[in-house]
Amino acid sequence: MSQVLQRTSATGTRATRVIGATSILVMAWVVVSGLLLTPQDVVQGESVRIMYVHVPSAWIAYLAFIFTAVASASWLISKKHSMGFDRFAGASAEVGVMFMAITLVTGSLWGRLTWGEFWQWDPRLTTTAFLFVTYIGYLAVRRLEGSVEQRARRSAVVAMLAVLEIPLVHFSVVLWRSLHQGATVLNPNGDVKMDDLMLFTLFSGVVGFTLVFIWLVLHRQRTMLLVDLANNQGLDSAIVARRAEGSAN
Amino acid sequence: MDLTPRTSEPSKKPRKWLPIVLLSLVGVGGIVIVTQFLTSAIDYYCNVDEIGVRSGCEESTRLRVQGTVEQNSLQKTGSKTSFVMTFNDKSINVVYSGDPGGVFQECISVVAHGRMIDGTFESNRIEVKHSNEYAEKNADRIESSGSAACSQAQG
Repeated sequence: MSQVLQRTSATGTRATRVIGATSILVMAWVVVSGLLLTPQDVVQGESVRIMYVHVPSAWIAYLAFIFTAVASASWLISKKHSMGFDRFAGASAEVGVMFMAITLVTGSLWGRLTWGEFWQWDPRLTTTAFLFVTYIGYLAVRRLEGSVEQRARRSAVVAMLAVLEIPLVHFSVVLWRSLHQGATVLNPNGDVKMDDLMLFTLFSGVVGFTLVFIWLVLHRQRTMLLVDLANNQGLDSAIVARRAEGSAN
Repeated sequence: MDLTPRTSEPSKKPRKWLPIVLLSLVGVGGIVIVTQFLTSAIDYYCNVDEIGVRSGCEESTRLRVQGTVEQNSLQKTGSKTSFVMTFNDKSINVVYSGDPGGVFQECISVVAHGRMIDGTFESNRIEVKHSNEYAEKNADRIESSGSAACSQAQG
């Protein structure tokens, strides 16, 4: 076991280094374009630049939570119950919660500049806050007492229920009257009314945030693997020690 | 104790359908509740033309009213800001105590919090409800887009 632990003690690989380097380049472009190259919005002025962080982080949070649900379902359905699915689910949820927090903070700042308020309990903001709290709960469930199998089963059920909130959040601006504006890119009409460079920078942000998400999830699930291996190693050592005590007596 | 080797494969456990059916019912129930029953409770505002008409938009209660700030109606007198708010060819006069924040301007959608008193909506909070359209700011376009937005709102 210790040999396995030593072999896997680094979480980086050639693939993660390539993803990491690419994400730095894409994010550097997003920063330069978002802050310097894209124009001010005709109504919102400079505050529109928050969009290049706010919107991609919201989309990546959705993606992360969907990924968590898919990995959880895979764990439940697969006959072998591979713990790799569970680790991917947990890692994706952690990163998703981080992106959701970025969404809430940047949205709050953007709201202050445009609406005049940091926060209002309108349908979009309320459902988003509820989604955030739900996944905090998911992470709490993962830390409950029990075996890794129990952890995987409980959290998989929670993940598959929690993901149902995402359509509610996304369509809250369609279902109800909201202070939050409707979707610009993913709107039902498919008519995107956005300046070309703004749109390109927004998509660059989505690509950059996606690469960051992949990079973080790969590293995080590997650190989770190391933690599981270390825990198993501790258990093996304890069993060996008890056996040694038994044979000594 | 019977230690003879097993001769047949262990029987497969039947799939547990009850949790799946229950989960599906919960999902469907949730969708029905959200789309059918919560809509009237969750809507953030009443439109100008719904004051005194729609349930929950009674004049006697504190309201959040949505409409467009009519062009050339904005006036600032001392600490008060007054303007005409329009939606679906219905208009109300709004008086706000203070200077609205955000990107408040004429021809933009706003949500005003307050009460109808003697035919005037006295507001103590204004929120700007910006659209989902993003366009480059330049001197020529400001004028044309402002006019277009107003004509669209009024039409």
